[in-house]
Amino acid sequence: MSPAPAPALPDGLAVIVKRDCATCRLVEPVLAELAAAGRLTVLTQDDPAFPASVEHDHDADLAVSWHWAIETVPTVLRIEGGEEVARAEGWMRSRWEALTGVSGLGAGLPEFRPGCGSLSVDPDRVDELRARFSGDRLRSRRVELASAEDEMEALFARGWTDGLPVVPPTPERVLRMLEGTSREPDEVVAVVPPDLVAGTVEKVAVNAVMAGCLPEHLPVVLAALEAACTDEFNVHGVLATTMPVGPVIVVNGPIRRRLGMNSGVNALGQGNRANLAIGRALQLVVRNVGGGRPGEVDRATHGNPGKLSFCFAEDEEGSPWEPLSVSRGAPAGTSTVTLFAGEGPRCVVDQLSRTPESLAGTLASCLRTVHHPKLPLGFDAVLVVGPEHARVFADAGWDRARIVEELHARLQLPGDEIVRGAGGIAEGVPEAFAALTLPKFRPDGILLVHAGGGAGLFSTIIGGWANGDVGSQPVTKEILA
Amino acid sequence: MHDIVDLESRGVPGVFVASSEFARAAEAQAGALGFPSVARVLVPHPIQDRTDDEMRAHADAALDAILAELTDRDRP
Repeated sequence: MSPAPAPALPDGLAVIVKRDCATCRLVEPVLAELAAAGRLTVLTQDDPAFPASVEHDHDADLAVSWHWAIETVPTVLRIEGGEEVARAEGWMRSRWEALTGVSGLGAGLPEFRPGCGSLSVDPDRVDELRARFSGDRLRSRRVELASAEDEMEALFARGWTDGLPVVPPTPERVLRMLEGTSREPDEVVAVVPPDLVAGTVEKVAVNAVMAGCLPEHLPVVLAALEAACTDEFNVHGVLATTMPVGPVIVVNGPIRRRLGMNSGVNALGQGNRANLAIGRALQLVVRNVGGGRPGEVDRATHGNPGKLSFCFAEDEEGSPWEPLSVSRGAPAGTSTVTLFAGEGPRCVVDQLSRTPESLAGTLASCLRTVHHPKLPLGFDAVLVVGPEHARVFADAGWDRARIVEELHARLQLPGDEIVRGAGGIAEGVPEAFAALTLPKFRPDGILLVHAGGGAGLFSTIIGGWANGDVGSQPVTKEILA
Repeated sequence: MHDIVDLESRGVPGVFVASSEFARAAEAQAGALGFPSVARVLVPHPIQDRTDDEMRAHADAALDAILAELTDRDRP
C-alpha cells in the first residue's frame, strides 16, 4: 500500500510559507515579484491572511505540505507536467534566481537566510499527519476502546502484555515505528510459532511500540524474529519446553553504538532502553502474534526473569578477541544478532587466578555444572567473560580459539563419574558409557562473549537448552535496515 | 499437536498422546490451529523419571483409549 497521491500543484512555481517564519516574512516582496513574472502558487501553512502582498491558498490541513515532503519554509518548487523538477529551501538569491529564471530578485535583501521548519514536520504534529495521510498502509484490526476504559488497563485485560504495562500501539505510534525500517508493512518477516501466524513487519512494529522501542530499534527486532523463527533456532521448542529457557539476544557490530546499547556495567541487567525494549519486543511478538502464552503452550516449569527480555551487546571495543559474530562467520563490521536459547545468568567468581590456566580451570569447573554436572553434550552455554577475567587471558596471549580449546580440554568427563548412580545420584548417562570419556560440550557448544563492567573479577554463564536437531542451535543473522 | 493436525490434514488419522500436565497446552494449541476436536489421550504424569516397566504399564493402560479415539469417535 502506498500513501494517497499528492494533491496536484499547477505547473509553474509554487512557494510554501508560514507567517511564523522570519525568512518567509523577509521574502514577501520577492513573492510579489515572482507573481508579476508568471504563474505562481503560494501556500501558507499558518495564518490564512499571510502573505498579504500576493494571492495565496491556505494549506490548513497541511495536506500539500505533507505530500510534497516540505521540510523547510520557505520552499520554492518548480512544477512541470504536474511533477517537481527543482526545489530551493530557505532564501538564497542565486538559487532562487536560477530556479525561477527571474533575475534581480529581492533587491535590498541579504544574499542568504536559512528557512524555518515546516509545520508538516513539527514533532508535535508529524505523527498525527502521518496517521491521517498514510494510515491506510496499516492492515491491523483497529481496537475501539470505550471512552471510560483506561487504555493501559485495557491492554492488560485483553491479555496482550507480559505482566508489565505496555505502550498503547496507536496508528500514530505504529507508523512512526515503521519509519525505522525500509521494509514494507505487509512484508512477512517470519511465520511465528506456536500458532504459525504470518508475522508481518507491521505486526512486529505494533509489538515494538508496546515494548517501548524506538524506530531505530526495529531492525534489530526484525532480525531477532527472523533468527528465532528458523528451524535451527526452533523458538517453538524453546517456548514449549518445561526447561527455563528463552531467546537470549547478543548484538554485535556498529549498531550497538548507534543505539546506545549497554555492553558494560550491568550489561545483562536493567537500565538500558535499547537492551530491554528489543528483547521485550521479541517476546511480545511470540506472545501476541505467535500465541505463545505461559500456562498454555509455554510449559516452563520455572521460567526465568529473562523471558521478559534478555538482550545485550558485546563489548567489542574493550575486547581482546574478535567479536562473537565474526567467530560465527559474519564479516567484520556488520551488525548482527546472535540468538541463543538460554536460561538465567549465573555468576562465576574467581578473584585470585592470575594465570590463564588457573582461570580456565575455574571457568571449566563452573561450566561443568550447567544443568547437571553428570550430563554431557546435551546443552550449550554462553560464557560472558568480564573485562577483568579477559585481561588475564589477554595478558597471556590466549585468543578466543585458545580459551575455548583449553576449556574443552578441562571439560572431558570420566564416564565412571557420570553414569547413573555414580556419586549416589541416579541422574546421569547410561551404564554403557562407564569406560568412556565424554565431553561436557559439543565442539561449538561454548559461545564466548566479552561484556561487563571494568571492575569485578567475574564472568557469567548462561546455560542452554537441548542442542542439536532435537533442540535449538544458536543462530546469527545480519541486521538489515 | 502440529504433527497430528498435519497428519489429519493428509487423511491419516492420528491421536495425540501426552501426560496430563499438558492438557492445557494441548487445548490451547488445538484451538489456535482451528482443530479443537483433535483426538487426544492423556496419560498420568509424570513420565520422565518412570522406569521402562512403569512406562509399559502406562502404554497398556492407554491403548484402549487410543484405539477408541481412532475407531469409535466421529470427528469433523
